[in-house]
Amino acid sequence: MAFDKKLIRNFSVIAHIDHGKSTLCDRILELTGAVSKRELKEQMLDSMDLERERGITIKLNAVTVSYAAKDGNTYIFNLIDTPGHVDFSYEVSRSLAACEGALLVVDATQGVQAQTLANVYLAIDNDLMIIPVINKIDLPSSDVARAKEEIESRIGLSCEDSCLVSAKTGEGVPDVLEKIVELIPAPEGEEDGPLQALIFDSYYDPYRGVVALIRIKNGSVKPGDKILLMQNGKTYEVTEVGIRNPKEVATKTLSCGEVGYLCATIKDIRDVFPGETITLANNPAAEPLPGYRKINPMVYCGIYPVDSRKYEDLKDALGKLILNDASLTYEPESSTALGFGFRVGFLGLLHIDVIQERLEREYDLDIILTAPSVQYEVDLTDGTTMRLENPSDLPELTKIKAIKEPFVAAEIMTPKEYVGPVMQLCQNRRGIYEDMIYFDDTRVILKYLLPLSEVIYNFFDTLKSATKGYASLDYELEAYHESALAKMDILLNGETVDTLSSIVYRQNAYDRGLRLVSRLRDIIPRQQFAVPVQAAINGKVIARADIKAVRKDVLAKCYGGDISRKKKLLEKQKEGKKRMKAVGSVEVPQEAFMSVLAIDDDK
Amino acid sequence: MRPRALYVHIPFCRVICRYCDFPKVLYAQNWAFSYVDALLDELSSLEGPYETIYVGGGTPTALPAALLEKVLFALREKLLPGGEFSIEANPDSLTNEILGVLIHSGVNRLSIGIQTSSEKWLKYLGRTHSFAAAKEAVERAKDWGLSNINVDLMYGFPGQTDEEFAKDIKSFLALDVPHISAYSLQIEEGTALYNEKAAVDDDRCASFYETMLKAFRQAGYDRYEVSNFAKPGHKCRHNLTYWHDEEYDAAGLGAAGYRDGLRFRNTRNLSAYLKGERRSEEEPVSKEDDIKYYFMTNLRLEEGFALSDFEKRFGFRFEERYAAAIQAATKEGLLSMRDGRAAPTDRGILLLDRLLLLLY
Repeated sequence: MAFDKKLIRNFSVIAHIDHGKSTLCDRILELTGAVSKRELKEQMLDSMDLERERGITIKLNAVTVSYAAKDGNTYIFNLIDTPGHVDFSYEVSRSLAACEGALLVVDATQGVQAQTLANVYLAIDNDLMIIPVINKIDLPSSDVARAKEEIESRIGLSCEDSCLVSAKTGEGVPDVLEKIVELIPAPEGEEDGPLQALIFDSYYDPYRGVVALIRIKNGSVKPGDKILLMQNGKTYEVTEVGIRNPKEVATKTLSCGEVGYLCATIKDIRDVFPGETITLANNPAAEPLPGYRKINPMVYCGIYPVDSRKYEDLKDALGKLILNDASLTYEPESSTALGFGFRVGFLGLLHIDVIQERLEREYDLDIILTAPSVQYEVDLTDGTTMRLENPSDLPELTKIKAIKEPFVAAEIMTPKEYVGPVMQLCQNRRGIYEDMIYFDDTRVILKYLLPLSEVIYNFFDTLKSATKGYASLDYELEAYHESALAKMDILLNGETVDTLSSIVYRQNAYDRGLRLVSRLRDIIPRQQFAVPVQAAINGKVIARADIKAVRKDVLAKCYGGDISRKKKLLEKQKEGKKRMKAVGSVEVPQEAFMSVLAIDDDK
Repeated sequence: MRPRALYVHIPFCRVICRYCDFPKVLYAQNWAFSYVDALLDELSSLEGPYETIYVGGGTPTALPAALLEKVLFALREKLLPGGEFSIEANPDSLTNEILGVLIHSGVNRLSIGIQTSSEKWLKYLGRTHSFAAAKEAVERAKDWGLSNINVDLMYGFPGQTDEEFAKDIKSFLALDVPHISAYSLQIEEGTALYNEKAAVDDDRCASFYETMLKAFRQAGYDRYEVSNFAKPGHKCRHNLTYWHDEEYDAAGLGAAGYRDGLRFRNTRNLSAYLKGERRSEEEPVSKEDDIKYYFMTNLRLEEGFALSDFEKRFGFRFEERYAAAIQAATKEGLLSMRDGRAAPTDRGILLLDRLLLLLY
């Protein structure tokens, strides 16, 4: 039985961190009876601990609920969650493409926050109907008039149809549900047309294979159907379809306008990238849905176990993570300094953070990450070209004709008054100016070509601080261009530490080398003997700092009262040592390998 | 086994030194009276007798003579004949009246906080006496027949020069006392120096230490513990209890003790103590922790520990169980295994943390 699509509303919720998105979603689920209060785990859409702690949503989710509206009809609401970081903007755009509308939650005590804008613009790009929801009106410091004014002036949305709510107390939330019915358009599409279903997320289930979350744009799909994935050309037989309310409930079919899940014994999550279009093998659609982009890792770093005996454990853990994360890639590599490990590809730095924390927390591994690198192309004198993800693999100089690095086409939207600082930043980062567009009275879009390697080093954070948080950044890979690059090696106690090598822009090499060696001097604890830290290019030392030998570490006094405290301190140090890696005879803490990242070129 | 040592804390001071993080309060007469009552009450529950009693502070001699006498008389009852009875004092509180009380009560060891011979650095530390006054106090104590004296020396003040410290060494040796405790300045949270972000240079402290070690050894002092130097026959028996990791009783505000396998500390809150509150922290010592504590304390001693003592206490042989760590530590020149003893080398004493981490 296909549900009348006039009674379906598909929407997502956009909000700045802490503006109350999760609480509002909880209220909606509660009011629509999807979950009883008793069952309601706080903020149930964010299911991973990590997400809850960091206040960000990484993994998308979708929930189907029914709502008995005042007009006497019962509606189906599909609430589709989105993550909120530049690393994941493509996924956000695919989730939004599954919706007709969005709730924009704004905290009445704080007003519009700059970071929300990027997702609002994605929603506008996807032609969504946006309903402003002004939250936290129960707080004495709330200022509804100001929040409305900011929504109108900063985003350019009318607040005529906005809702005033307190997600915490539930006040105003029923009104939101009515507005969803009233304002968000019902899905369109041809029920009898050839199937077009948009995959906007997926996860791995050990029993059923990959579970794809889909939005049916046209046609319908049921178990037994032979489906074709239009981007990768593979076919499967559907084993199960259903909705999530939020528990999974199998249904007979999913039809045009509906949102649900689909299983088809798909083994590899890489077969169902977000944005992929499902159609029927025997009655295929003429073309796939627009907007698909193949997700490729943008940055790579080495991951090594601190204890080399844990290599297999790390391999297992990565194998499990990759089941649920189509954007992650890994392959074995080895380092003279760190032994056996993996070169892992990520979408961006936040993605690295998330994976690092999951490996440490969920898999209880002590790991070392090397500094992130982009993928370089190296033209060799023998006429061949190699791809380089690990700087230490760079061949010797005489064999290299040219090194090319990936550039991205970046669009930075910023309030007019910050154009100067933003241009300065892009220039510092070797940006090539392309265009400047006046978006409206207050905002400007700057277009630059930037080396990706410069973008991954703190660019986003620096951009945010240069614009008091108001700039937004979007970028996609443009092309590879030749640059004046060189490999900078780091020597500890005279020995090259391969995992500390990086590819640098020649003109910045001295400065970066100097910063890096002094940073390493500060991070690496003093050892039994003096350790020189050197930066070298082509075997020529360009910077040096010395770690002095420790001469004394004993506490002068140790009587009754001090001794328990002292023991705890020593135990803490012992723990810290476990997280260090002996490189030659030097004990190097974990963070040293990432220290390249912490160097701020813009100061 | 009953503890053989007792530590008693008197928290009162006439002035608060800028580096001190011991439990202490400014002297106030009404508190002092109630405190002595509460302390005597706590002492009455301790059976004794003890081979050593150590009265520390604060400044025990900040008490009026009559109150101090009350405390010391009560303690004297708990001391075994031939026992060591130490008390800490400041130069400016060592009046003839107080000295009389000390002698009269059987105190036989005096520890005087002097810290430096430089008027500039005395002021920096917040001390109120001059070095001349300190010298006088030492002489006066000797005149009274109290010649088993320790003086505290401190070094490593931010900006202290080699010349300044050389002068301190010379002046302290000239005091001609049988025991010197020499501590590098430690900046502890909650002190005035911490609040003004004073920083100690560990490298300079190491140099100072080496200079000092040489000078004191030449003058006939043995370094028997990291920071303690004594003429033959004058080691502090009480403090050796700590460094041998043996149990000891404790009484008074914030005092830390160790008995029946339990490390404990009294409350640091004066009004709570006056109301009869005692232990605020307790840590049962597991077998594993016991070994850690044993290393932490015994390896502070120049003579380290006898392998036979270790085996007797823990039931296994140190040299077997710790073979790998011993090898690493001897290779790094931190530990020496000789004459049936495990002992830190000169280098190992300065790098004791490193040595301990190898053994943990």
